[in-house]
Amino acid sequence: MAAVTTIAPRSVSATGSVRNRRIADMTATVVLWVMASSIIVMLAAFIIYMVYLGWSALTPSFIFGVPQETTAGGGIGPEIYNSFYILILTLVFTVPIAVAAGIYLQEYSQPGRFRGVVQFSAESLATIPSVVMGLFGLLVFVYLFKWHFTALGGALTLTLLNLPALMRVTQEALSSVPDTLREASMGMGGTKWQTITRVVLPSAIGRMTTGVVLIAGRIFGETAALIFTAGLSVPYNNPYSLSPWRPAETLAVHLWYSHSESIVPDVARIGNGSALVLLIMVLLFNLSARIVGRQLTKRFTGRAE
Amino acid sequence: MIEMTESAAATTNKLVASDVDVYYGNFRAIKSASLAMKAQKVTALIGPSGCGKSTFLRALDRMHDLTPGARVEGQILLDGEDIYGPDADPVVIRHRIGMVFQRPNPFPKTIFENVIYGPRIHGERNRTKLQEIAEHALRGAALWDEVKDRMQRSALDLSGGQQQRLCIARAIALNPEVLLMDEPASALDPIATSKIEDLIGELKEHYTVVIVTHSMQQAARISDDTAFFHLGEIVEVGPTSRIFTHPKEKRTEDYITGRFG
Amino acid sequence: MIAVQARRSHRTERIAVIGLRLAAGFVIIAMAALLLYLAWEGTKTFYVDKFPLWKFLFTTSFDPDNKQVGAGVFIVGTITVTLFAILVGGPFGIAVGVFLSEIAPRRMTQVLKPAIEVMVGIPSVVYGWLGLTLLVPLIRTRTSSPSGFGLAAAGIVLAIMILPTVITLSEDAFRSLPGSLKEGSLALGATRFQTIVRVLLPSASSGLAVALILGIARAIGETLAIQMVIGNATQLPLGIFSPTAALTTEIVTDMPGATEGTLLEHALFSMAFLLLLIAMLLIVFVRLALRKRT
Repeated sequence: MAAVTTIAPRSVSATGSVRNRRIADMTATVVLWVMASSIIVMLAAFIIYMVYLGWSALTPSFIFGVPQETTAGGGIGPEIYNSFYILILTLVFTVPIAVAAGIYLQEYSQPGRFRGVVQFSAESLATIPSVVMGLFGLLVFVYLFKWHFTALGGALTLTLLNLPALMRVTQEALSSVPDTLREASMGMGGTKWQTITRVVLPSAIGRMTTGVVLIAGRIFGETAALIFTAGLSVPYNNPYSLSPWRPAETLAVHLWYSHSESIVPDVARIGNGSALVLLIMVLLFNLSARIVGRQLTKRFTGRAE
Repeated sequence: MIEMTESAAATTNKLVASDVDVYYGNFRAIKSASLAMKAQKVTALIGPSGCGKSTFLRALDRMHDLTPGARVEGQILLDGEDIYGPDADPVVIRHRIGMVFQRPNPFPKTIFENVIYGPRIHGERNRTKLQEIAEHALRGAALWDEVKDRMQRSALDLSGGQQQRLCIARAIALNPEVLLMDEPASALDPIATSKIEDLIGELKEHYTVVIVTHSMQQAARISDDTAFFHLGEIVEVGPTSRIFTHPKEKRTEDYITGRFG
Repeated sequence: MIAVQARRSHRTERIAVIGLRLAAGFVIIAMAALLLYLAWEGTKTFYVDKFPLWKFLFTTSFDPDNKQVGAGVFIVGTITVTLFAILVGGPFGIAVGVFLSEIAPRRMTQVLKPAIEVMVGIPSVVYGWLGLTLLVPLIRTRTSSPSGFGLAAAGIVLAIMILPTVITLSEDAFRSLPGSLKEGSLALGATRFQTIVRVLLPSASSGLAVALILGIARAIGETLAIQMVIGNATQLPLGIFSPTAALTTEIVTDMPGATEGTLLEHALFSMAFLLLLIAMLLIVFVRLALRKRT
């Protein structure tokens, strides 16, 4: 058989076509570096811009004052309060249901129809646009139940929106616990439930908390679903009301409202300040998620991560 | 110390390693290894697991470049040129020195695409030429008859033994001068293994083969020279027949007679 | 004594499992309720107001006061904005995903990954606000666009917003490839770039498809960020800088003023239902893409 071959090079150094390929390789590497760096630069630019614009707006009268409908000088105090209020209320509903469903899917359920339908429902819920969820909330809580705009309605709507995410967090946290721990507990005669509550959950709690705090950050910034359920105003005579049966405009909604509908003359100042406060809150949530998670893992398992 | 074969035939050294050290971080995995691998002969590297044979093999085609923290010192000459020299380009070296891995790793592409991947990335575009290369390489790997009618099917549909022969074909499609094989048959069943061993006997007519194997029987069957590794050092080198019948070092003798490893 | 304790534990277990199952079942019920209720309200346009379905989907005249609710404008708006975003953000995101998986040294990863996480955390209102205060004036002063609002502004904001999704999923797709593939290619003398383009990208194709589909899903569902910069004009996007509207933005713009029971309100719910169906369809696509892997 005649030798049909490629002409192999005779030395060890780069010549001709190899040099071209090397140049292509280096060019591509440079391009990718530029692209990746541009993301970091862009984010830094955003943050600096927001701080620069909004810093002057952060006066105590702004942060704690009440909003104005037609005059300048409004504040965002009740809105911040509402953001936290709705956040906590949402978590009160979401955490038990999502964690329970997550435990069920991860530790108990067998592959089968029920499990498949649950997973498909969760995936679908996760992909639904928040505005669609808001309309659903409008339909059920405002129209059907006739509550009109309420913090409770907003929180329940947000619960539906965040269930899938928290379920996923739970499942991933549980799956990160090695099976050897489960085997040890069951081997000593523990029931599955005892194993989960006494061994698996404590091990997973660090990761779960990180996930919950990150989701809390998202809830804090949620807007579209709340516009139609929690409303665009705060109760006039009791802006810091403890009751869930009242309209509750959050900071994020307020930011949108001030740039779409509002007619006060100092819209820019309010917008800049609100945006900055939102950014600070998000960064705080992000940061504390990691720290709290790590601390909890150490406390409950005696070792760091 | 480089030991030359007793045979007076004019065998040249294709690949010569002198005082090679391989470090992983601060750990010295290979210590002062020196070995002359002869052209168109099969050199086998044997030794207990973890003794460094694969590490040494990978140094021969600069695969340690891929591992962060790995460092190779010493000299490895291919036809007299140091492959770790300042001008040496790994891309070129890997064209001349091919490698077949322990587990078959075909790309998720067609059989044809797998075989001609090497020539194609090195610049060959002519379709007819590529088809000729593919046929030649597959014949050389004793796979042609089994796949000639399904070249456009996925390589992943082949059996383990066929996939490994495909990887061999892929390597020889580049017409390398040296073929490095890292326990090529260890993941295969006995029938596939013997096919690969027969193949190696044919391959050495065209290429210099360096093969790592944990099976002494395999080394004895197919290789011309053997180097025994232990704890990162080359303990003894020599013609296979002599190593297995009259080993000079006690450690070699202990390994061959099965006292450890 | 032991037997009593065991029986108690088992009973606790049984009750616990029932509770867990109920929680899981709640998810199904929630999804079903959503589907049914939105279908109920969303189809009123067709059987109560008797507006034809084909007209809703394919005509572009949206004038509820004159009994016209052709949502074609918004459908086209959604499609074009999403297309813009995925054409810009898709390749960029995959490229950065490759970078993170194959090229980035540890220190770069330690900066870039937290940066991406922060980007995920930024609320969409803030992106909208940034678009409003930074991007729109930029477009207004630098290009032929009179106001700055329009398709381009919305597309750019959206592309930035879907980047984290595409990047993280692409990176996962590349990381899940067996290392032997890369080794095999490099051992044959390929450069890293050749290896990425010829072996890694094709091998990761199903994972990358998932990244792109989920990026598209995010883009379609995004509401406020684009609503603040798209111009909210009920007209088809004729040029890249023309103000227009999308399904989501239209809902947010007009729903606060819509009265229950009117044609406008029904039409907006029909749009919401349409979005719901699209979301579910995308999930099906994702599953198909994942199945292709095996």
